[in-house]
Amino acid sequence: MSARAGVSLAPPQATRVREVPAASWRAACEEQARAGHRFCALYAARGADGIELRSVFAHPRGEEVLVAPVPTGAVDTLIDLFPAAAQDEREAHDSHGVRFDGHSPLRPLIAHPADPQEWTVELEGDAAHQVAVGPIHAGVIESGHFRFAVVGERILHLDLQLFYKHRGLEAAAEGRTLAEGMRYAQRACGACAVSNSVAYAQACESAIGLAPDEQMRRGRTLLLELERLYNHLNDLSAICAGVGFAPGAMALAALKERAQRLNLAIAGHRFLFGSIALGASALRVERQTGKAARAELQALQDEQRAICHELRFAGSLQARLGGVGAVSAQDAALLGAVGPAARASGSRQDVRRESPRLSYADFVPAAVSHPTGDVAARMWIREAELEQTFAILQELLETDLSTGEADASGAQAADTGIARVESPRGETTCAVHTDGESVRRLHLRTGSYANWPVLAHACRENLLPDFPLINKSFELCYACVDR
Amino acid sequence: MYVLLKHLRRLRREIALPSTGRGGSLALRHVDAGSCNGCEHELTAAANPFYDMQRFGLGVVASPRHADVLLVTGQVTTRMLGPLLSAYGAMPQPRLVAALGDCALGCGVLGERAALAQPLEQVLPVDLRIPGCPPSPQKIADALLGLMAGGGERSSATDAPYS
Repeated sequence: MSARAGVSLAPPQATRVREVPAASWRAACEEQARAGHRFCALYAARGADGIELRSVFAHPRGEEVLVAPVPTGAVDTLIDLFPAAAQDEREAHDSHGVRFDGHSPLRPLIAHPADPQEWTVELEGDAAHQVAVGPIHAGVIESGHFRFAVVGERILHLDLQLFYKHRGLEAAAEGRTLAEGMRYAQRACGACAVSNSVAYAQACESAIGLAPDEQMRRGRTLLLELERLYNHLNDLSAICAGVGFAPGAMALAALKERAQRLNLAIAGHRFLFGSIALGASALRVERQTGKAARAELQALQDEQRAICHELRFAGSLQARLGGVGAVSAQDAALLGAVGPAARASGSRQDVRRESPRLSYADFVPAAVSHPTGDVAARMWIREAELEQTFAILQELLETDLSTGEADASGAQAADTGIARVESPRGETTCAVHTDGESVRRLHLRTGSYANWPVLAHACRENLLPDFPLINKSFELCYACVDR
Repeated sequence: MYVLLKHLRRLRREIALPSTGRGGSLALRHVDAGSCNGCEHELTAAANPFYDMQRFGLGVVASPRHADVLLVTGQVTTRMLGPLLSAYGAMPQPRLVAALGDCALGCGVLGERAALAQPLEQVLPVDLRIPGCPPSPQKIADALLGLMAGGGERSSATDAPYS
């Protein structure tokens, strides 16, 4: 399929939900893979007759959901079919007690057992030892715990223990009205607040049978790209900081600051909090604001290009990027990498191609000339994506933006809504179960959630002192994983 | 590199931060007790060329052993309560605690009761409150400068149990 053929202008469709018995859960999921559908999420929920398991698969026209009641509390594992489902199964076990036959050892994910052996690999040999880091890190960094298995300075393996910041947001959202649920999705993560809010809003709107009008699609697209702009500038700055290249880090941090001031000017908040609502869009950009914003965006783009040009010729930076933290295209696909991290390895997957509820006509995913999957590729893919983001923002701001609202989509109301949004860190999937009024289950699987295992894989065979740099090249959030 | 340094020099001239004017410094140790990452972004931003808090003697240090101020973000989760108290216990005295952002101040907290510990004010004596969701880098820098000048007010929680 050509890149352009993926652009769907068809009206948004309701999610297809199909129930399968627990005994044929694995076979039904395998069938999805054979049909070329991509694994997006797996989660457990409390159904009318007890615990049920759900998996979400995507294709260019939408999503399919498989539901299996698990009366015995156990099903066959999917991890050999979809290694990307490993964390999801561990989470379903910790949150709803589902057991997965064949997933052994089934390590805890949300739960924090006292004995580290329950979640780390066993080490053998005289030279191998473990290095523990966190949960409090040395810089201004979110909390999380890592156990590196190393020989000398070489990393053999990395075990992650996240969920130190687990606030129980999904469980706390249950029983709230759909409108109240928005706060829980937004608060999951400051840096992905728009992505998570749009994913939540779209999942709700899909379930209750609403489709956004053109102004609303444009407004949300504008906000999503403003979020990507400051995040990508931040991430480029972070990679420079990761090698101690302060001039690059500070020059880009200054651009990020200006991008956030632009957010404040356009939407009234530096992180765009509170800018997404259910079934409506309050964002207005009038001629004067739009004109000023376009001029500032042009200035930002000119400076960003000049800085990136300089970075290409900064020997002390360049010497650190190539071949470090490399992820092959095959591994990226197997592990379910998403977003810039996947595209740095050669993937052309980008949810913006398949977003009829947003304003991304003719979108073609960015690519780097050498998709080497290393820190260098993850740096340059962001540069390439910034070009797109600037172009989209300029186009959206060319005409006035007025308030928008959602109309009846013509689709019947359903009890499940699924939405996928391309956050700055990749595909974010949101599932909302509802009776039409309140949230019965909210599940948020963010780009960071998908990419943490990829990061753990990327640092294998690398030097421990390169970990901060590899980490910065992914720049994943902890907050929207922990929830 | 030369171009970048020239760019930053020009930026510094344009921003024209006030002269530091006073001596002294505060070493800050940040602990994320369960934030959304918004406060972390803004605390980091307070070091960018627009605010440049280092030039006022405000720097983030790697260890609580080197810190004067514990800067806490987020509502305290049950999992972060222990590490938070350990970090506080590792600080030399005299030491100060700053609550950075609305969550750390216990405002508008979201989450499940079982996942959240007591509010920060009930587990550590808070000397400085920086409200906002998240507070802007300017507010963060101003509040910390105020603390350096002798501002701040101790909350009622006692210092004793975690010393």
